[in-house]
Amino acid sequence: MIDILFFGRVADRQGRRRMALALPEGGLSLFALRLRLFDGEDDGRLRMSVNQVVVSDDRPLRDGDEVAFFSVFSGG
Amino acid sequence: MDMDVRLLPASFDPAAVHGVFLTRFGRLGAVAAFTGVVRETAEGAAVDCLYLDWYPGMTEASIQAIADAAAGRFDIRALSLHHRCGEVRAGEPVVFVAAAGAHRRAAFEAVDYMMDRLKSEAALWKREVGPGVDRWVEPTAGDAADLRRWSRI
Repeated sequence: MIDILFFGRVADRQGRRRMALALPEGGLSLFALRLRLFDGEDDGRLRMSVNQVVVSDDRPLRDGDEVAFFSVFSGG
Repeated sequence: MDMDVRLLPASFDPAAVHGVFLTRFGRLGAVAAFTGVVRETAEGAAVDCLYLDWYPGMTEASIQAIADAAAGRFDIRALSLHHRCGEVRAGEPVVFVAAAGAHRRAAFEAVDYMMDRLKSEAALWKREVGPGVDRWVEPTAGDAADLRRWSRI
């Protein structure tokens, strides 16, 4: 299983803040997950993290990973 | 280096934080501080509150990284960084940053630097909510330009 979290505008669009997903046999990559969740509404500005580290390159996901999708940060 | 970095889900009193900071570090000679307060309007629309969405763990790490960078970059001896998350009403403080050292320039610059990085790099997502407005806010071109002031050549 992996945990998937959504923040900010992305959580609104998804209509949820988290979900769990069983990894399929044969595995799943980060970009494949992104395509599955956001197909057709990915404006290219989506940011991602794996285990709380922001990443931009594709990688295989492993059981226990925590993946997050969010828009650009806006603090202050 | 003495650092007090906090992400706060409930309202706080920046005057009290500033007072404690002055008492502890005022004798160093120079203390600079900045407080950000939620404005009551944004682009002409009334704002009741901001909602700052956050990612527990990652958000704290992102503001700590900004404080660490300021501590390494400027000749200061103490800093304080308090940032709200969750719902922040108009008129309430959202951020307080202070730095102390022997000389004013480093203290001013450390505060300025932390604020510029917080605006674009703190792992927070800001939503403005009011009677006629409900929108997620993203960093502006001005915020990006502010950040570039600190890039090393």
